[in-house]
Amino acid sequence: MEAISIWISSLWENFRIEFTNNFITDHRYMYLVQGLGTTFLITLFAVIIGVALGLLVAIIRSTADRTGKLRFANWLCKVYLTIIRGTPAMVQLLIIYYVIFGSVIIDKRLVAIISFGINSGAYVAEIIRSGIMSIDGGQMEAGRSLGFTYTQTMKYIIMPQAFKNVLPALANEFIVLLKETSICGYIGLTDLTRGGDIIRSRTFSAFMPLIAIALIYLCIVMVLTACVNRLERRLRTSER
Amino acid sequence: MNDNIILFEIDKLCKAFADNMVLNNISTQIRQGEVVVIIGPSGSGKSTFLRSLNLLEKPTSGTIRFEGLDITAKNTDINKYRQKIGMVFQHFNLFPHMTILKNMTIAPIKLLKQSKEEAEAYAMALLTRVGLAEKANAYPNQLSGGQKQRIAIVRALCMKPEVLLFDEPTSALDPEMVGEVLEVMKGLAKDGMTMVVVTHEMGFAKEVGSRVLFIDEGMILEEDRPEAIFTQPKSDRLKNFLSKVLA
Repeated sequence: MEAISIWISSLWENFRIEFTNNFITDHRYMYLVQGLGTTFLITLFAVIIGVALGLLVAIIRSTADRTGKLRFANWLCKVYLTIIRGTPAMVQLLIIYYVIFGSVIIDKRLVAIISFGINSGAYVAEIIRSGIMSIDGGQMEAGRSLGFTYTQTMKYIIMPQAFKNVLPALANEFIVLLKETSICGYIGLTDLTRGGDIIRSRTFSAFMPLIAIALIYLCIVMVLTACVNRLERRLRTSER
Repeated sequence: MNDNIILFEIDKLCKAFADNMVLNNISTQIRQGEVVVIIGPSGSGKSTFLRSLNLLEKPTSGTIRFEGLDITAKNTDINKYRQKIGMVFQHFNLFPHMTILKNMTIAPIKLLKQSKEEAEAYAMALLTRVGLAEKANAYPNQLSGGQKQRIAIVRALCMKPEVLLFDEPTSALDPEMVGEVLEVMKGLAKDGMTMVVVTHEMGFAKEVGSRVLFIDEGMILEEDRPEAIFTQPKSDRLKNFLSKVLA
């Protein structure tokens, strides 16, 4: 009995020392705080670019599929989707940083935002397109027969329903994107992951900083998931 | 035939899907205040003909004139034209993400630039007329099939159309709900609304129709007053068709 209590108190003491050493000494927790800020910044703006790009591509693709117009734009979109979905996000990031912006001085965060935005746009495009395609053709006919133009029907009738249908898939894409930004350390950015890793390299203890990073990602994702669930429920109840 | 003004003048209308000739040289006229009922076997092209009238199907050749305007011409503003033509679909096609009131008012507000109050007042008057005023704030999925179709009809009426097109409006309904929809349509006919109706409801055709078109294999085989069509069919195909649907 006594042996167990000694073991527990030594474990606690060990934890306290490790914690202090990894996070408190030299204000090391600031690596995590600042890293988290960078992660949020990149994710937020990449989501905005991704949604804008995805929406555009989805509308071009589904318009081309339904009406046979916009052939060339549709072809461009297909090339974009094939390349982005066919190569790893990390390779895209490295190419955009070292090749495309290789000879210009540019904020690395901007590079990451552009890279992840372009990457996410491809996935968002296919998600939204599947949402548009899932809406019964009768909805478009009803809109057009009232006198709405194609664009008006998309805006007032098709897109609101499509968005509602794909909201879970979109939320999932944003969660994937948030976690994917952890590779931006490869172009020398200090995001949450790299921040924790810097602590590890200072203190030579891996457990504390890495578990801390994992927990922070987990918490953010859980909060995001809860928000989306609430939003989804609110949108659904309005129909019943 | 009455001497009302001609709304539709359809001349040698043809529609082909790939090699399949669905409409083959259809020519007819539709006058103001007429209730034209289109009957025929399934796959005969009657729905395609109806959908051609508001250009949901683009004719392969031939012309459709509406009040003298060639709507099949390239430079015609289709959207402006469609505002004058109401359409009621077999599967209602209400907008599930909007309340009934919003379903009815979105087009008049956005397209006719009516104020919200004006559009809603008119919509409520129509809802009251079809006995669904208390459903104004409900969503389509909360309604029965018959209620949905009555809403679809008044939604079309909110645009104050000159003609209403009905594409098998009762075919997707449970039998006990067919009556309530036909009642609304009869009321409209009585008020002088010009209607073109594709239907399998022969009772409606007899009672309300001012003219019946029998379409088979993409052609108008017979065209006459309902009494003549139902009591003195001339062609064997119409006789055959009537013996099946009236049995």
